[in-house]
Formats: sequence, C-alpha cells, structure tokens
Amino acid sequence: MKKVLVLSVAAMSFAGVASADVKIGNPLALTGPIPDLVAPMALAVDLAEKHINEQGGLFAGGEKFEIVRADSACDPVAAVDAVTKLINVNGVAAILGPVCSGATIAQAESVSIPAGVVTLSVAASSPAISTMESGTDLVFRAAASDAYQGVALADLVIGKGINEIAVSYANDDYNAAIAKVFADSFTEKGGKITANEAHEPNKASYRSEVATLGGTSDNLALFAYYGSGGITILRNSLETGAFTSFIGADGMLAQEVIDQIGAENLTDATFTTSASDTEAKSFSAWKVLADEAGVPASDPFVPNSYDATFMLALAIEKAGSGDRDKIAPALREIANAPGEVILPGEFAKAKKILADGGDIHYAGAAGPQDFDDNGDVAGFFSQSTVVDGEWKAELLK
Amino acid sequence: MDELTGYFLYFLSLLTVGGIYAIIALGLNVQWGFAGLFNVGIAGFVAVGAYTYALLTTANSTFHYGGLELPLAVGAFAAMITSGLVAGIVGLICIRLRSDYLAIATIGIAEIIKLILKNETDVTNGPRGINKIPRAWEHLTEERFYTNAPMTWIADATTWQSFFASLPRWWWQPMFALTVLVSLYIIYRALEQARVSPWGRMMTAIREREPAARAAGKNVTNRRIEAFIVGAVIMGFAGALFAQHLRLIDPTNTFDPAKMTFLVWVMLIIGGSGNNRGAMLGGFLIWFIWSASELVINGGIDLFRTFFTTVDVGILRTRAGFLRMLLIGLALQFILQRYPNGILPEARPAASGNPKK
Repeated sequence: MKKVLVLSVAAMSFAGVASADVKIGNPLALTGPIPDLVAPMALAVDLAEKHINEQGGLFAGGEKFEIVRADSACDPVAAVDAVTKLINVNGVAAILGPVCSGATIAQAESVSIPAGVVTLSVAASSPAISTMESGTDLVFRAAASDAYQGVALADLVIGKGINEIAVSYANDDYNAAIAKVFADSFTEKGGKITANEAHEPNKASYRSEVATLGGTSDNLALFAYYGSGGITILRNSLETGAFTSFIGADGMLAQEVIDQIGAENLTDATFTTSASDTEAKSFSAWKVLADEAGVPASDPFVPNSYDATFMLALAIEKAGSGDRDKIAPALREIANAPGEVILPGEFAKAKKILADGGDIHYAGAAGPQDFDDNGDVAGFFSQSTVVDGEWKAELLK
Repeated sequence: MDELTGYFLYFLSLLTVGGIYAIIALGLNVQWGFAGLFNVGIAGFVAVGAYTYALLTTANSTFHYGGLELPLAVGAFAAMITSGLVAGIVGLICIRLRSDYLAIATIGIAEIIKLILKNETDVTNGPRGINKIPRAWEHLTEERFYTNAPMTWIADATTWQSFFASLPRWWWQPMFALTVLVSLYIIYRALEQARVSPWGRMMTAIREREPAARAAGKNVTNRRIEAFIVGAVIMGFAGALFAQHLRLIDPTNTFDPAKMTFLVWVMLIIGGSGNNRGAMLGGFLIWFIWSASELVINGGIDLFRTFFTTVDVGILRTRAGFLRMLLIGLALQFILQRYPNGILPEARPAASGNPKK
C-alpha cells in the first residue's frame, strides 16, 4: 500500500513539473458513449502537435507545444473535473475540446470562464453555446452550430419540392436541438410540419411511433443515431409502408445503414453532414498530410480537430507567450481576414510572417475558420444519397 | 499562474465535490445504514433537488420554465422540500416492500424521474438541460445580483464592480468549498444526534429484527417512511449543491445511475454503512481516487515516455481513460477485501453508553 502511494505521488508530481513549454489541455470523450468517433479526432490533434513541433515549435526559442490529454467522457461531471485538473494542476494555457455540447457548456461555465481560460471546442455543435457567454469572449468552436445545419437541411427539403413532412427525433441533446432548428426553419420557409415527436433511443421496436407519424405524411425527417434506434425506425417505416422518403442529419450516415436496410430500399433517402469543401486548396493540403500520417481525413470533426489545434498554436505564437489573457484576441486575429493565407501544416511559414510583424489568415481543413461575434464558424454541409450501394456525398453550396 | 495556487485550487475542488458526495452518502446512510432501506434510485432524488434549485434560481430564460430568480437559499430549501415530497409519495406506496423488491421499485422511480425531466421540454428544456445556474458566492459577481437589492443596500453597483475586480479570479472558490463543508458538518452533527437518540436505536431495531420492533409496539411502516424522507431531503440538498458546482445539469449524462447511484453506494459500503463518519470518509476517499487517478495515469505515461523515447505514446494517451477505470476497480476491490465491514465499521448506538467504549 505504501509503495502504491509513494509511486502515485511520484507520478503526480511528475505530471505537474513546470517548464517553459506551452501546454494545452485537451479533454476528449475518450470513454463514454462515443469513443470510436473520438479516437480519430485525437489522432488529428496529435498530428497537429507533431507538425508544429517539427516546424520549429513556438516563439524564437523553439519551445515545445504540448498537448495534455484528459477524459471528459461526454459527461458534465467528468468534464468539469478533468478541466479543473488541467487548468490548476497542469497549468495549461487554453482548453482544446471537449467533444460533447453538454460537457463543453458545463466545463466553460463552471471552470474555464471563471478562470479566464479560452475554450476552443472541436465538435460541440449545440446552438446554446452561441449565447452562453455574458460579457466575456472566451468560448470558441471550430465546428459549425446545428443552427446552420438545420437551416441548410430545411433549404434542401424545400428545394426538393417537399412541402409537408413529419419529424421524429431521438430524445438526446444533439438530435433534439437540430430537430428544433429544422422544424422552425422549415415552417418559416412555408413548409408544414405535420407531426413532431421525440422517440426514446434503443427501443426494440418503433412500430407505434411510426404508425402515429405515418398517418400524417409520406415524408419523414429522421434525427437519430443509426446505432441506437435509427435503423430500427427505417426498417419499421419500410415494413409498414408508412413513409416513402427520408431525410436527416449526421447520425444516420454509416455504411451499416445500407448493409442492414439494403440499397434498393433507400432510393429516396438523403442525409446531410458537416463537410469540407473537397475542392478547396486548404482541404487538399490537409488530405496530403492526413493520408501520409494514416489519419482518416474526412471523418466527422477530424479536420476540425486539426484546425482547432493549429489555430491555438498560431494564436499563442501571435500572442508571444502562453499568457491566458492574450489568447482570445490573438485567436480572432489569426483566424479572421485580413492577412496572408496559411494552409494546414504551414506552421513555419506562419511563424516567419508573424515574426516579421505581418498578418495571417488561417484557411482551415474543414472550411473557413473565421469566427463571428459569438466565436462560431459557418462551415459547409454536404448531402449524401445511396449510389451503387454506398453513400455518395455532394457539397451543398 | 502561481503553481502552488493551482494545487490549492485543485485541492479545494476535491473538497467541494468530495463534500457534496459525502452529503449524498450521509443521506443514503440514513436510509440504508440506519433503517435498512435498499434505495437504488439515488440519482433520481438528487436530480429532483438539482432541477428544483435550477428552475427557481436561474435568470429568466426562453429555454425552460422560469427561471424565477429567487434567492439561492430559497432554491436550496425548496430542493429539500420537493425531494422529500417525492420520497414521501414513493414511501407511502412502496415502503412495505422487502429489501430487494424496494430496490427494484426505486430503480423504476429514478427512471421515471429521468424520463419526466427528459420529456417535459417546456419546463426542463429536455435533454439539453439547464445552464447558467448561479453558484453561491460566485453569483455575487453577476450583474443581476449586484445591481439589485439586497446588495445595493451595502454599496452601489460600480463600487461592487471595482471591489470584485480587485479580488483574485478564484476568490469565491474557498468560500464555496467552505459552504459545502459547513453544510456537511451541520448535517453530520444532526445525524449523529439522531443516531444515538431513541429514534436511532429504534431504527437499528427495525433494521435488525422487524417483528420484534413491531411486537414492542413501534409503528414500523411510519418510521421507515420517516427515514426514507429524511435521507431524500439530504440528497435533495446535495442535488442543489451539485447543480451549483456544475452550473449545467441534464437528465441523462449528469444523473447517469452508473456514475451517481453506483458511486454513492460504493462510497457508503467502503466507508462503513451505519457509521456517519464512515459515510463521509467514503465520500471523500472515493472521489479523491476517482479524480486524482487521472493525474497518476498521465504522470505515469509521461514518465514512461522519458524512459522509452522511441515509443509513440499517442495510443496510450487515448486509451488511458479505460486504464483508469480498471485502476479504480482494482482499488475498490482491494479496499473491500481488506475492510469487508467498511473502513469505519458501525458502532452500535446501544453500546454508546457502555463503559468499555
């Protein structure tokens, strides 16, 4: 027992060793409901860290840019605890993450805003994040708000000539939020929501839900995760013939949907997701780097994770030190126009321009990363349909 | 920032959260340790307290009902009342159930509470939860408090503003930790008093041999409902503190039974059920292990990296969370093996007057 204690204390004190290097806290939902989604995001963060340090590190002295990872478990309790440790014990200059919106809001309000530390989330997409701050400018995100995706989806549906639709959403924070934005925007654009019902995830059958909704419309807007009920709803809808066309968002985009339902049954199914403009120069630059390192370049929020890490490093370089107060204004300056365009991976180039007193404007792998007043970015979306037994994405302009 | 200040602040946060868990464990100790009521719906009662507090004290919002902007103390008091009321209703219906049946009933009740919080979106904002919950002491720096009575009786808004600007950012943290610890102490003293009183001895009698207690003329059912309500009131109060600490609550992740109910049970069993000091010790100890193990693991990985510089630790860092769960499990296993009756076993109230003690 004594030995364990001594070892623990030794390991802990090692974690707290101070140095001139700049540390960034990186809480990610490593355990909890979505570890598989998060693992490639962690790889992208590590890749950015590697690029920055290989290209001369930070400042004139070439100090190391160091990521300190922690587990926020997609859970407010764990996130608050993890960020408390990062800020107080590890002494990080800024917070990069967390993934889930609830965890992001909780850690920001409870820990990082009171401590005056910048949060740059890699994937939190809840509309509530835009309006959470009062008087401070400390919360940013590199992923587009659902408010934008919901509107893009409503435009898409109207564009298809569909005027009435039934909505079914999984009762969790992500799907409930995007369903609400979609319904509001669709009604505003002259469409009619015939029914709007929440469903509990992970049920064995959704026949009664589908029957209730199916009486009102032939079109279904489905906001669910494929793994926890989405596929069952699709199957029940097709079996009962309640719906003929389906639209929806991110959660349903997986090969498993096609494998289980069958491509021939999904002729009229369209799902949107946040996407990168694959024709943009910044995305090609990122794709080369990601392929080289074996990181899946187009997975959800993976380019956003790289962008967020890279921008924090640029902001710290611009600020000239790891001083917490200077990072937020510097972040706006390097991410927004004007300035010379910096592509993913071009840290040495950016460093040189900044050293000469020039301005830079980072063009992100995931799309433009210009922050608005709320610290949000706009982002692009794509629509995917089934072509030859696979999802085929097409960018929405 | 000064490194020592950082350690001090982390220590304060350990005390704060550990203290809140210790209060919940004390509540469970009344139910299980005193009266032998197998409550597996802890998360539900804490959630009722937390939501009551949040709805009553937050600023007016379009997302959820209210908030009613009531004083914080009123919110905390109401949290105790609602949690107690829910326990009263539940108690009237299911308290006659034997231990394991009561356990199943309470699981069901916690699940019902969760589903209500999730689906009554007009009141609770559903799965997206309630944020901007005011935290004691820190709330004084919010504009809606320092521009209104009673704070304006003492000084005007600009004086307050410059006063808060002159304090370090973390000034409220020791105050909040102290508030939690003082509440914990008051509850502990009250429960100690209850434990050695005739009421406490009667509880032990009911727990150990119910027919005998009934034969002695005790109204067993009413006494058990009493214990159930007292425990729930304490949990409701802890819920109000928990909401203040997190500042955002949502029905699914915050009050996840695996992390709330299970953890509190572990705290009570390891600390020593039936012993108030044991319940508190368990609360602090398990939270310390839970929280600090991440630092230990990360420190260990850094240490490993300095010795084996060629190995890529990326995957190790990503999987550390699971390693940590394993480590916590092992630690719990060890403590339970070493102290089967808890670290501080129950001291029987009947023996308190014994000269041997």
